[in-house]
Amino acid sequence: MTQPNRIGGGLIDRAKPLTFRFNNKEMAGFEGDTLASALLANGQRLVGRSFKYHRPRGVFTAGSEEPNALVHLRTGAHTEPNTRATMAELFDGLTATSQNHRGSLEHDMMAVTDFLSPFLSAGFYYKTFMWPKAFWEKVYEPAIRASAGLGRLSMQEDPDQYDKGFLHCDLLVIGSGPAGLSAALAAARAGARVILADEDFVAGGRLNSETLELGGMAGHDWAAQALAELASMGHVRIMTRTTVYGAYDHGIYGALERCTDHLADSAGKPRQILWRIYSKRAVLAAGSTERPIAFGNNDRPGVMLAGAVRTYVNRFGVAPGKEVAVFTNNDDGWRTAADLTAKGVHIRAVIDSRDRAAPITLPDVRHIRGASVVNTVGRKGLKSITLTDGQVLPVDCLAVSGGWNPNVHLTCHQRGKPEWRDDIKAFVPGGTMPAGMVVAGAANGAMTLAAALAEGRAQAEAQISDLGFTPAKADPVEAEDEPQDTAAFWYVPESRHRAWLDQQNDVTVKDVKLSHQEGFRAVEHLKRYTTLGMATDQGKTANIPALAIMSEITGRTIPETGTTIFRPPFTPVPMGALAGRARGKDFRPYRLTPSHKWAEEHGASFVTVGNWLRAEWYVQGDEKGWRDSVDREAKTAREKVGICDVTTLGKIDIKGKDAGAFLDKVYANTFSTLKIGKVRYGLMLREDGICYDDGTTARLSENHYVMTTTTANAVLVFRRMEFARQCLWPNMDVHLISTTDGWAQFAVAGPKSRDLLRKVVDKDVDLSNEAFPFMSCAEITVCGGTPARLFRISFSGELAYEIAVPARYGNSMMAVLNEAGAEFGAVPYGTEALSVMRIEKGHAVGNELNGQTTAHNIGLGKMVSQKKECIGNVLSQRPEMIRDDAIRMMGFRPVDRSQKLITGSHFINKGEEAVMENDQGWMTSVAYSPNLGHSIGLGFIKSGHERKGEIVRAVSPVHGTEMEVEIVSAHFIDPEGERLRG
Amino acid sequence: MAEFTLTSAPPLAGVDETFDGIHLRAPKDLAIVAVALPLGGEDAALAAIAKGYGADLPAPGKSTTAQEDGATLLRLAPDQAFILFHRAEPDAETIVAGRIGDTAYLTDQTDTWVALELSGPRARTALERICPLDIHPDAFAVGDAARTVMEHLGTIILRTGQDSFLLLSASSSAGSFLHAVETSIKNVS
Repeated sequence: MTQPNRIGGGLIDRAKPLTFRFNNKEMAGFEGDTLASALLANGQRLVGRSFKYHRPRGVFTAGSEEPNALVHLRTGAHTEPNTRATMAELFDGLTATSQNHRGSLEHDMMAVTDFLSPFLSAGFYYKTFMWPKAFWEKVYEPAIRASAGLGRLSMQEDPDQYDKGFLHCDLLVIGSGPAGLSAALAAARAGARVILADEDFVAGGRLNSETLELGGMAGHDWAAQALAELASMGHVRIMTRTTVYGAYDHGIYGALERCTDHLADSAGKPRQILWRIYSKRAVLAAGSTERPIAFGNNDRPGVMLAGAVRTYVNRFGVAPGKEVAVFTNNDDGWRTAADLTAKGVHIRAVIDSRDRAAPITLPDVRHIRGASVVNTVGRKGLKSITLTDGQVLPVDCLAVSGGWNPNVHLTCHQRGKPEWRDDIKAFVPGGTMPAGMVVAGAANGAMTLAAALAEGRAQAEAQISDLGFTPAKADPVEAEDEPQDTAAFWYVPESRHRAWLDQQNDVTVKDVKLSHQEGFRAVEHLKRYTTLGMATDQGKTANIPALAIMSEITGRTIPETGTTIFRPPFTPVPMGALAGRARGKDFRPYRLTPSHKWAEEHGASFVTVGNWLRAEWYVQGDEKGWRDSVDREAKTAREKVGICDVTTLGKIDIKGKDAGAFLDKVYANTFSTLKIGKVRYGLMLREDGICYDDGTTARLSENHYVMTTTTANAVLVFRRMEFARQCLWPNMDVHLISTTDGWAQFAVAGPKSRDLLRKVVDKDVDLSNEAFPFMSCAEITVCGGTPARLFRISFSGELAYEIAVPARYGNSMMAVLNEAGAEFGAVPYGTEALSVMRIEKGHAVGNELNGQTTAHNIGLGKMVSQKKECIGNVLSQRPEMIRDDAIRMMGFRPVDRSQKLITGSHFINKGEEAVMENDQGWMTSVAYSPNLGHSIGLGFIKSGHERKGEIVRAVSPVHGTEMEVEIVSAHFIDPEGERLRG
Repeated sequence: MAEFTLTSAPPLAGVDETFDGIHLRAPKDLAIVAVALPLGGEDAALAAIAKGYGADLPAPGKSTTAQEDGATLLRLAPDQAFILFHRAEPDAETIVAGRIGDTAYLTDQTDTWVALELSGPRARTALERICPLDIHPDAFAVGDAARTVMEHLGTIILRTGQDSFLLLSASSSAGSFLHAVETSIKNVS
């Protein structure tokens, strides 16, 4: 395994050879390589096929801006598509395969699309595949998707783990190049808490790629020394392999740390962490990205950005070619020629679009002034280039430099508008920055080394001074201001062949012209029409040349043309990282009732109610389906006794001298008059008079009430009451605290409930109807001294109690109640039987209190007191809301008792057409009543209270059903309430 | 003797695990009583607390260790505090009432919460994964307390020592809470 293109030097560790596979071919590299540098070292120029035309493509850059060298990394379920080879750190055993070809990479059968390209210009698909309309989804789109595209998913569950986290700092420094290091040093030396983040696995930025000296030493040595100093300080966190991908509100940044992507195995640890960084201030030192020049066939493997060629030579010890030419419109391109010459790589020529003297003297290098490259040859790898004057130069690598663009992306995440600087021919940050952000170095247009160092320090010192730190004294680092002149030269007009702008999306100069011709002239329209700037690289190398060309065509200036908006993320963030731990059963937390364990042991099936898991029914014996269990539970509770865990209902402890008066304000009915030891049903309204929530509130002592809310609204009601207490009536002495989780509460319902409870409560508790009638409450003890609360309330309509004990005893209490009840035939019942019984009794729940209904609608209009000031009572009296012919909650039963009612059915009068104009109301809840032996329902119907006995039709167009139903009282069982008072 | 007896089974009873640089345990028999200061009666209540516990109730967001009952006085809001102390029996409210009388409104919160104590030099590193707050010693000193949300769960975090934190969260979601904390520890150890 030779590495034909490996040369001397670089920051790789030659003592640590690694082997890897690309398209099943074994290759060698070293620790410190990226996959891209190792591929180039092995002479692998062809790396992938392009998105649309399946053009052979190679490594184009040396960083996160890479448009071409995308691979499938790893295998099986671990496969990650669209991994940039320039960002993938080489590890021993790495496996990569190329993307987007049918057949082999070398002989892609889909390459035929390239020859059809005259027909496949921008907008082709939209214009061509329009008819017949139905074909788009079924035929055209699948076919196009199969031929075009990037990588493929494994279609297996992601086996890796991901995590999230939160970090805090005084100063976040984004980027660890010269400006970033300079900023971090300045802030850290002053004592500020600093986070220094860089997407690379080695900090130092361009210092690792250049041969410029600073402080009298090599750039990468200075970087290493600076990092060592920072690392020695406890208040600095250096985060390599960490991309700060988004700037959010109030100095909050999103960052993706790739923890184990450089390892063969994650060893059970999170592969990546999505950090939320809270910074007081931030210095963006994200550097700049080189842009290409567009000319004919400028996408061949071997055509690369000049700065990237330098990176491969200087940092990785790899010569991307043996015969290299440089094509530049600026001084910086010359440094590639200088560095390669110094390393012994032959430079065939430097072609400078500017007709002027060389900025760097290179005696042995041929300088071709005022010329351009018009075309290239070499389908799977560059063989030669043709210049404007017709001469052909045989080269296997062409280093192209069209100037450098400051990485302004994060400055725009809150709609900052970059500004054009003509002296550097590039956009720099402008407009309103995200709060707390400043920019330094090349990202801010300080394109030379000395300027970047000085600006990094100055910006950081200004920021930390603002935060109260005193900058430490230190001499400036010596460095030079290298020549940086750049010409406004974007594409070679003499080129007759396709000149590529966006290599990731196969967008050419011609496509931009076509976009203009068809009227898509604004940059945002250009992007949508041509797809320029989309996909994984977001056009980092393509956008500026494209909009420069658009501005030329339209005759506007570049700043007039403007850029498309930059949005997060700066580079792709895997879905897995966004999900973090929230997968499968860990998607959300679960709340368990105190008797959960007992229920599990006794055949319970569980239903999620919000975050709660509640027993929905308990399977006993050979019960085959849920109805068997539910019918038995509901019947037994009515005939004997049933026990249900009702802990999930919200419980709010209300204390204070004004507790009663406060309740009068939040409830529609009155509570200040409630006697100690009594419970009352309460109804809450919204400010607009619509029903909000209901429940019972018990008065345990003069200044102590205990409220129950519905399960779903427990938190909302608490929050609303806390608002009322703190903001609406701050002068009331009233205090709220949730005790929902503190008390395990059980409904004990049925004619034998009193007998059962007598066995559990302590001897001094008198449960007789006289001593403890319906709607009583008391603080008692059970089972020999355990504190408990007893309420005689009934949701089922039976003689019933709710008994609460401290939650730690809840599981035991459930066992005790069932054991004590065994002699009476007691059964545990779940939420389904609970629901059946409440429908039998006509109690409204969320189905009826749906945020659109009033007390008037549910038949509780008289509860809304007009003798006091309370939330909602005024607006509840608006004429439209108390119309006599308003919908009323009623009971419904099928005329043919064997029929099954359907929730959501709408009521239509007999003989009328089933259309909206004839809508009389709708069915809100239905159940099979085992006690009545047929289906029953609750619902709202116009003037229902005057229509008892009338037959209407319940129509469900969704189900395609229709049946006759009789309007009846909502109280199907014991309408006079004799049982619950007995 | 009653026919039936109840067994106490707090959700996290017995949790006690040691990891590299982190000790995780559920404090045994930690009683919590909420104290609400009556409007207009704050001074009397504060005086009663100072007298009954030998320590002033600290400012909101702060806690202090009292002389009596080994109690921690934790002020959550201007008119709300928690008193935390060791008590196995379900009568914590009575104990506090015995110290401060009826000068404040008391509500037993022992069973409403579960507690986890994280200690050790890597405790803070583990908490970085779920705690949105800045708990660097410069920003969150020993005795400081705050309400926050960890993995969707409302949590009170209290710095009990240079390297130790007490976390309180709802008892009904104890299992999910423990899982969140354990996962954080495992992910960093």
